[in-house]
Amino acid sequence: MAVIVNNPLFKKLGMKYPIVEGGMTWAGTGALAAAISEAGGLGFIGTGYWHGEDVRREIKRVKSLTDKPFGVNVMLLSRHIREVFDVIIEEGVAVVATGAGDPSPFLAELHAAGIIVMPVVPSVSLAQMMEKKGVDAVIAEGMESGGHIGMLTTMTLVPQVVDAVNIPVIAAGGIGDGRGVAAAFMLGAAGAQMGTRFLTATESEIHPNFKAKIIKAKDIDTIVTGNILGNRARVLKNKMAKNFVKNEVNELQKEKPDAAAMEKLESGTLRRAVQEGDKDGGAFMAGQISGLIKDEKPAADILSDIWTQATDLMGIDNTTL
Amino acid sequence: MTDTEIFDKVKEILVDQFDLEENEVSLTTDLTNDIDADSLDLFEVLNRVEDDFDIKLAVAEDIKTTQDLVDKVKAQLAA
Ligand SMILES: Cc1cc2nc3c(=O)[nH]c(=O)nc-3n(C[C@H](O)[C@H](O)[C@H](O)COP(=O)(O)O)c2cc1C
Repeated sequence: MAVIVNNPLFKKLGMKYPIVEGGMTWAGTGALAAAISEAGGLGFIGTGYWHGEDVRREIKRVKSLTDKPFGVNVMLLSRHIREVFDVIIEEGVAVVATGAGDPSPFLAELHAAGIIVMPVVPSVSLAQMMEKKGVDAVIAEGMESGGHIGMLTTMTLVPQVVDAVNIPVIAAGGIGDGRGVAAAFMLGAAGAQMGTRFLTATESEIHPNFKAKIIKAKDIDTIVTGNILGNRARVLKNKMAKNFVKNEVNELQKEKPDAAAMEKLESGTLRRAVQEGDKDGGAFMAGQISGLIKDEKPAADILSDIWTQATDLMGIDNTTL
Repeated sequence: MTDTEIFDKVKEILVDQFDLEENEVSLTTDLTNDIDADSLDLFEVLNRVEDDFDIKLAVAEDIKTTQDLVDKVKAQLAA
């Protein structure tokens, strides 16, 4: 069976590698997205709860660094979502990826503007619902991932989603080298999305403490917060993460668990990790694959090294799309 | 379709999805609290309701009870 890497979606975007940068709030800056797109992957700006003008600033940054298409990852729960979409449409962004929530109310206008839409899905049924609404691809993200996560692993989720839908499926979660990318293709994915691996790219602007923490991390060094109160997120272990989990258990034992108080504890902590490198108080969101990542190198090298290894393993030409 | 017919079909989906007895599902059944549906279960239910009734629902619909589901289906069928 031939492995098909030249799917029309990636071809249309002129990508050289079927590798996508996962949108990352605070960490996924314009500089990193531009480096990845320029090298032939698909870079994404992470926007979290930003205002429209913050998003515009990063879009302009990418455009000043590359002519290649790139994407914007949006948080549908954000209060500023309307102005963020206005900016995305005005700026003619190529692709929108969506995290938690339902992008379908915005689908018609995004498609009218020629924008490709791909939501992250944690289950088969959500993937099917998204396909019915008319999205262009889905990102099946396993719980190995850094950041907010679902319940299934990449290994189990990807083939089940692939069997359930007829649009391209991009595999995410736990992919850090060519073996992971080849595995994604073996599971039937059309491409691979990576977050954690790109955090230690030279062009990644996260605090040096954050990069060092990923490079030092071992296989067992992540922990999931929010298991009990919801909003599960995978982060590298530190004081803040361990306290969070402990408080969560205490909170639950109370008659009325205060989810809002816990949320407050969480908010802002990712920014503190990314921008300030706050070792004790930051939420260093990163995936289980951190243990495999041992170096900082340019995004272009990450992509070409991974693709060389992946194509070697799959026994296909190291040709570009 | 009458309300009863809609309810019967919704009940069938819930019974199958959560391995319940028919008498465990009423209009006031709270999906989260009575049958422990988590958010992924709810997507599964919505997905099947969409297919079985041939309608479209918003993923973010605020659905708590069987009655809420029946109401959404009714509204969509009427639309
Ligand atoms: C620091 C960080 C922030 C993230 N923020 C977001 C986000 O805002 N929206 C989103 O859809 N995914 C987010 N993710 C998930 C990534 O897009 C990606 O799916 C994930 O990192 C893939 O797993 P990996 O880390 O094992 O490569 C984030 C991940 C990290 C590590």
